[in-house]
Amino acid sequence: MMMAATAFDLVLVLALLASAGLALFLPRRSTAAVMFCVFGVLLATLWARMAAPDVALAEAILGAGVTGALLIDAVTAHPKAPDGSPAVRRRTHWLAIATLAAVIAVGIAAATLALPDSAPGLAEAVEERLGSSGVDHPVTAVLLNFRGYDTLLEVALLAIAALAVLSLAPGGEMPVAAEALDVPAPLDALTRLIVPVVVLFAGWLLVAGSTRPGGAFQSGVLLAGAMILLALTGRPALPPGSWLRLALVAGVGSYLALSGLTASGGRGLLVLDEEWAGFAILALETVLTASIAVALAGVFVASSRSSRLTAREAPR
Amino acid sequence: MTTLLGALPLVPLTGALVLAVAPPRRAPALTLGFGVATTALAMALIRAVGDSGPQALDVGGWGVPLGITLRADAFSAVMVGLTALSSLAVIGYATGSDRVRGGPMFWPLTLALWAGLNAVYVAGDLFNAYVALEVMGVSAVSLVALGGSSARRPALRYLYVAVTGSLAYLLGVALVYGEVGTLDIVAAGESLSAGAAATGALGLMTVGLALKTALFPLHAWLPAAHASAPSAVSPLMSALVVKASFYLLVRLWSDVFGGQAGAALPQLLGLLGAAAVLWGSGCALREQRLKRVVAYSTVAQLGYLFLLFPLLSGLGPGAPDSTASAAAWGGMVTLVLAHAVAKSAMFLAAGNLVVAYGSDDLAALQGAASRRPMTVMAFALAGVSLAGLPPSFGFVGKWQLMQASLASGQWWWLALLLAGGLLTFGYVVRVVRATYDRPWHGGPERPPTSEPARVPRRMEATALGLGVLAIVLGLTSAPILEFAEAPASVAEAP
Amino acid sequence: MTRLDVVLACGAVLAVLATARLLTERDLVRAVIALNIASGGVMMVLIAIASRAELADPVPQAMVLTGIVITAAVTGLALALIRRIEAEPHDEAGPGRQDDEP
Repeated sequence: MMMAATAFDLVLVLALLASAGLALFLPRRSTAAVMFCVFGVLLATLWARMAAPDVALAEAILGAGVTGALLIDAVTAHPKAPDGSPAVRRRTHWLAIATLAAVIAVGIAAATLALPDSAPGLAEAVEERLGSSGVDHPVTAVLLNFRGYDTLLEVALLAIAALAVLSLAPGGEMPVAAEALDVPAPLDALTRLIVPVVVLFAGWLLVAGSTRPGGAFQSGVLLAGAMILLALTGRPALPPGSWLRLALVAGVGSYLALSGLTASGGRGLLVLDEEWAGFAILALETVLTASIAVALAGVFVASSRSSRLTAREAPR
Repeated sequence: MTTLLGALPLVPLTGALVLAVAPPRRAPALTLGFGVATTALAMALIRAVGDSGPQALDVGGWGVPLGITLRADAFSAVMVGLTALSSLAVIGYATGSDRVRGGPMFWPLTLALWAGLNAVYVAGDLFNAYVALEVMGVSAVSLVALGGSSARRPALRYLYVAVTGSLAYLLGVALVYGEVGTLDIVAAGESLSAGAAATGALGLMTVGLALKTALFPLHAWLPAAHASAPSAVSPLMSALVVKASFYLLVRLWSDVFGGQAGAALPQLLGLLGAAAVLWGSGCALREQRLKRVVAYSTVAQLGYLFLLFPLLSGLGPGAPDSTASAAAWGGMVTLVLAHAVAKSAMFLAAGNLVVAYGSDDLAALQGAASRRPMTVMAFALAGVSLAGLPPSFGFVGKWQLMQASLASGQWWWLALLLAGGLLTFGYVVRVVRATYDRPWHGGPERPPTSEPARVPRRMEATALGLGVLAIVLGLTSAPILEFAEAPASVAEAP
Repeated sequence: MTRLDVVLACGAVLAVLATARLLTERDLVRAVIALNIASGGVMMVLIAIASRAELADPVPQAMVLTGIVITAAVTGLALALIRRIEAEPHDEAGPGRQDDEP
């Protein structure tokens, strides 16, 4: 859609650049983290503006809810970098790096601008095959059917990262909830109100993904946000003990099971027959939602500064 | 039958999940089991490619342009086989002592890494390759971080570097997709025409993947990361992980950007490779700690691989037909294999010495030659191969590259190959001399230690076995060369 | 300039600048922030490509969704590592350390 850049677009892009610049160059960590949250919100707005509602949803929740929470948490633990001021770099060094970066940036920008304005994309191909994919929403069809193998690997990555973070938790013990030392009453009340609503909304998002923007990713990160909120107010947020690990691997495990079934009994690896594709996708997405939520929330709780385990590290 | 291609990454991945929830005392046996299964799959792939040429699988049944296609040709099969060999050896080694593993997460993470590597080698889709690279990267970083408090900073740096490389690669993918509207490697290669977008993509992807392969001057992250990792992890890093990004780079140059690279960029890559050889070897000659010597050796040896680019005349799809190209290709594949085997042997030997002496400081290893002869022999044999002395496998590879240099008239690489060999010999000898019974000068004064600790038999045997292999493969290299000299193009896959 | 051009160029610039910052930033947490911004820049280029045609192209959008989750996972891992690194009394992993030998 060749639309001239409206004033709104220009302001949005400028605001994006400004917030990014502030996040990158202001000296204090806490400022950087907050500017980054602003950047995330602006980015989500841009996605919505550019006909990418699925991405906008995910970015809004992740940027503010999960990544934002992780960063703010890390920053409040150490508002200033422990090393003290960053190492002094000579003027010439800075100039050289900046010039190099500027030259490369201009070059890449030129390359992107050289892209044809309406080259072939895969939108039509997706439209044609949407009917036999089992869902009605193109992005969901791509993620869970046409390019499902990518999603499998990506969920595997999330599980691996979460497991690694768990093993990095000091002392090796995984707290089930962050011990909030002092939860303000309004926050507590708000949490009790919000979390059930969010869970319902996440459920709706999951099912809605078959026909409109939504799906396992959005639902999963939203659920993760709710779990993080629970954890911050001192409530148990994660499955205890070995259930946690099981929950983490359930998503990939289901996907692998589906792969095995289709490869040995069906028509081929991850070939979803039209009759049961919709059902399979929804079932898979349900498990994925749970796994994604547990993985992201687990990463938060394991890294959280307010977790029960102090900085007195047990020897590894 | 081609479900084999899907099984190659998914079987070790299943193993990783099983290991993540399994009780710890079963872990070594389970990991070995999955390792053997995956190795069997790798053998099956090599046989399949040998019998019927390049293989392909349309995942989900959709195929080009919408779906993801997995592909494997001879080059992929060789890499898959190499990964199986090294991984299985390391897993077997790691069952010997928990001092070399770093923690119980070693088992699932190693299988996850194996899955990621295989996923890269069978990827026929640009974005799929990105996700596979990230799986590999996250697993690798987590494995390095198992090395304790001294490993975490290098691990984090490695993470930043790896993700930077991946982002550069992804931006390149975006440019390619924007230009041709498909993510499939073969289809993109056919439709991509020269232009600013293609050049930008080529540059970005080359820089990104070169960063992940630690090409000079982007190598600074490697020595610390590989040296501080647990002793069973370092061989996986040096032998396998850095090769995956190199594999992808070659795949892109030959299948997507064939013939578009011009003359300057390949020569530049070759020159940077030469710098890597000289710089890496030079640093290895000055390091006081064994694992850092070996890590710098990796930086140096990777430099040879980049000689492929200037030596390969015409990187388009289809058989490279001149002698220079064939020799260059064969030399590169041989060196990839030879380095992996030899470097694994070296790091495993270093691990043995650390278990025995409690430190990898060269001055502390005095007397190891007589007390741990198998291990020192393993190191020496590996060194012979790395230095390219006949009749080792490394020699075969270097010989091929020398022939390619002569045949293509680029004789200056010859000087590099000879100089590199001498320098390698230098730092290998330096290490071996440190293991003699007399005090070693050049390091801090240390009293001779009492009897070194016992090293489990299987750990010494694995290291020695790989060292011997690095030599013996040189004598049996002809069938390997023949198998791997198939042209790089995968366009003929069924 | 069309909206497409603006977003494309902005995305590319952001990606490069943030990456340069990532590689030169000493503060580990701010490096994570730079990483996320760089990723955002690359995603901008992808979404811009997706929005070119009349019908929004779902494949780059799916790529971005996948990429966002991957970046979140990497961020989590990085912050967990940073937490352990900054909790240690000594920061530098110098060559002279004898304990914690691998």
